[in-house]
Parts: sequence; C-alpha cells; structure tokens
Amino acid sequence: MRYTSFTSYDLILLAQGLGVSVALFLVTTLIGFLIGTIWAVMRFYRVPLLTPLITFLAELLKNSPVLVQLFLVFFGLPALLKINVTPVEAAVITLSGNTAAFIYVIAVAAIESIGRDQIESARVFGLSRWQILRHVVAPQAMAFAIGPLTGLLVNQLQVTSLISVIGVVDLTKIGNILNLRTLKPFIVWTVVGGLYYIAAKLIALGGARLERRLRAHTAWKGL
Amino acid sequence: MIRARGVQKSFGSAVVLDGIDLDVNVGEVVSILGSSGSGKSTLIRCMNGLERLDGGLITIDDFDVSNPKDLAEARKRSATVFQLFNLYPHMTAVENVTLAPIQVLRIPRAQAESEARALLDSVGLGARADAYPAQLSGGQRQRVGICRALAMKPRYLLLDEITSALDPEMTAEVLNILAQLARTGTTMVFVTHEIEFARTISSRIVFLDKGRLVVDLPTDRFFAGDGGMANARIAQFLSKMRKE
Repeated sequence: MRYTSFTSYDLILLAQGLGVSVALFLVTTLIGFLIGTIWAVMRFYRVPLLTPLITFLAELLKNSPVLVQLFLVFFGLPALLKINVTPVEAAVITLSGNTAAFIYVIAVAAIESIGRDQIESARVFGLSRWQILRHVVAPQAMAFAIGPLTGLLVNQLQVTSLISVIGVVDLTKIGNILNLRTLKPFIVWTVVGGLYYIAAKLIALGGARLERRLRAHTAWKGL
Repeated sequence: MIRARGVQKSFGSAVVLDGIDLDVNVGEVVSILGSSGSGKSTLIRCMNGLERLDGGLITIDDFDVSNPKDLAEARKRSATVFQLFNLYPHMTAVENVTLAPIQVLRIPRAQAESEARALLDSVGLGARADAYPAQLSGGQRQRVGICRALAMKPRYLLLDEITSALDPEMTAEVLNILAQLARTGTTMVFVTHEIEFARTISSRIVFLDKGRLVVDLPTDRFFAGDGGMANARIAQFLSKMRKE
C-alpha cells in the first residue's frame, strides 16, 4: 500500500474534523444566540446609550469579512494586548460575535414585525413589559424569525471552514491534510463538501420542522 | 366611577379631544356616539392609558390613569374589548382568556382555566375553547375578546367599536352577549355605530363631535324631539346612520 492511498483511518480523521466543525458551530451558535438575543431585548427595553452602541457594533461585525475579523482576533489582539490567543479561542470569539450580530438583526426585525395591537392588548390588561415580551412578543417573533434563522445557521456552518486557516483542525483542515497526502483533490474535496452538505441539510430540515410547529396555529399561512 | 375632566388630546396639530367631561357610574351603560374622527375611540384609549393625555384628568375609582403608579390599579378595574379583536394568534381561545388572570391577578392556572372555560361556554364557545383565533370566525373571535376582558372581573368594561369589523349576523351574536351583560348590571362604556342597539341597552348616550362633547343625556331624552334630536348636528347624524 502506498502512502498516497486512502486508508480506513482517513474516515476517522474526517469524522474528527466534522466533529470539530460541528462542535464549533454549536458552541458559537449558542453563544451568538444568547448575545444577539440579549442585545435585541436591550433594544426592546430601549436602554439609553446601549442601544446605539449595540447597533453600531452589530453593523461593524456584519459589514466586515469574517476572515479579517478572525485575523484581527488571532493576530491583532495578542499583539495589542500582549496576551496569548489560541486558534480555538480566536475561532470561538470571532464566530460567536459574527453570529450574534446577524441574530441581533433577525431578532430586531422579528420583534418589530409584531403589531402594535398585540402589545397594546397585553398592556391594557396590565401585563408588565417583561410579561409582554415573554408571553406575547417572543413566541410570535420566534415563529417569524425561524426561517431567516435557519438560513443564517446553514451559512454560519459553512463559515466555520474559515478557521482552518489559523490552524484549527476542522473538517476543511482535515481535507487539506488528506489532499496533500493523497494528491487526489477531486475525491477529497467532494467527500468534504458532501459532509458539509449533509450537516447543512440536517440543520435546514430541523429548522423547517421547528417552523412548521411554531407556525401551525398562527394566522399567517405564508404569502 | 370613571371620571373625565377637561380631557385634551392632540395628534400633531390635529385636536382630537377638546375638553371632555364625562362621568360613568357603577351600573350604568354609557354609549358614546359620533361620526368617524369625532374622538370616540381616542377617549376610550385615554381611559385605558394607551394614549397619554395632553391635558385634563381621567380617574378610574380615583386612580389617575396619567400617574404610572395608579395606572396598574386603574387597568385592573377596567378591561377593554378592541375593534379588531387583538387576540394573541399563537394562543388558543382559553389561553387568550387566561393569560392576564394568571400573570396579572396571580390566579392559579387550574382555577383560571376552569373560569375561562365557563366564560367561553356562557358565550356559546364551550366547544371551541381549544381552537386558535385563526380557526374562529370574526364573531367567535370577538366573543373570545369579550371573555378575555370579563376574565379580569373588571368593574368597567370599555368597548371600542367592537362590532365594526363584523357582518350583521356576527354583529348580532356579539350584541346578544352585551345585552346579557347589560341585564346583569355590568358597567359599560360603549363606543359604537349601532344606534338602535345602543338605544336598547344604554342608560345614557353621549354624543361627540369634533372632539367636543355635544350632549350627555338619558337615553330616552337623547332620542326625544325636544332633547338630543333638537340639536341639528345630532338629528343629521341619526338620520344619516339610519339610512345606512
């Protein structure tokens, strides 16, 4: 057997790479979701000073390339602050921030899609702003947001592949390693691409199921 | 009682309410008539604190709706039914009715639910209690809206053109319930275009025109030739509404 041949061990490598990609995706999605949602809630409460600051930050994160942000966190921050940032830390910070910015935008749009009549009819019955958010606005906003959110998450999974350039051994990095060893780029990248495809498809399917559930009883049946 | 004194409200340069004085005593049904844009709905929205007053005072059992500390108590004593129902689309009928009793009045869920089901049953919706608003007709939705308000056990029911979005058959469904409520002595402020119905259930009728209160008369005096009908604006309004 020549060293360029594929071995069964390569499957384990691919699975490991996929595991790292998916784990990073899940962790950064969770953190990004929390931060983005907290930002949106602050905006709902119209916290003075903070709201324009958050909007500005989200704009910055949305409108610059993730790769540049990644380099800034991995190379720039350590140089400036004289600290040590590992590739995984840099990946988690950058992707979480990026996801947070987009989730913030989706959450704000979703909250603003809820008619004033809904908020008023809760207010006149004496519900507090928090109770209105929790029982009236959030469930309807979630039903509105789940479509764009699924689209975002599918995209964010693909974006994780960027972290391979700073040395995180994710699925793309494994693809790179296998490619260099076997010199069969077509097969390697087809398999890697297929794995991303399957993972993305699972996210999309999960999102679609959740969407059906969340919207089953609402008035909108789509346009 | 609900007391309004010199209520002023403008939207930009448009004066919508221009010094309204009105008292609603417990047990009364007061209908507010007037053409579109006369300020009827705005007056209700001032009473339940959805609009900030530009001047004057509204109190509900001496709780000032302009005072944030009093507003919560004022809102517990009054409940609003909206023209476009404003039900929560993601909740079933019974969930719509129980939300505020559970969250605001802190009534245990089981008790709130059994009370809500009894209320829905009393308006003929017992079998539809677990349906979502999208699965109900307009008349059914508005009956849920009325139950949602009654579940708060309010002293005052504020009804803002609650049949304007309904066809005549559904209007009748909803008005029948109001007639029942009026018989049981529920205090109501009833903004409406249903003049004949207002005549049958109201103790007093108030007529607004261009943000001013033109007359405030007992129902029989309002419709008498030497009472409200003596006012040219009211006579014109009534004859026009009756033609339609």
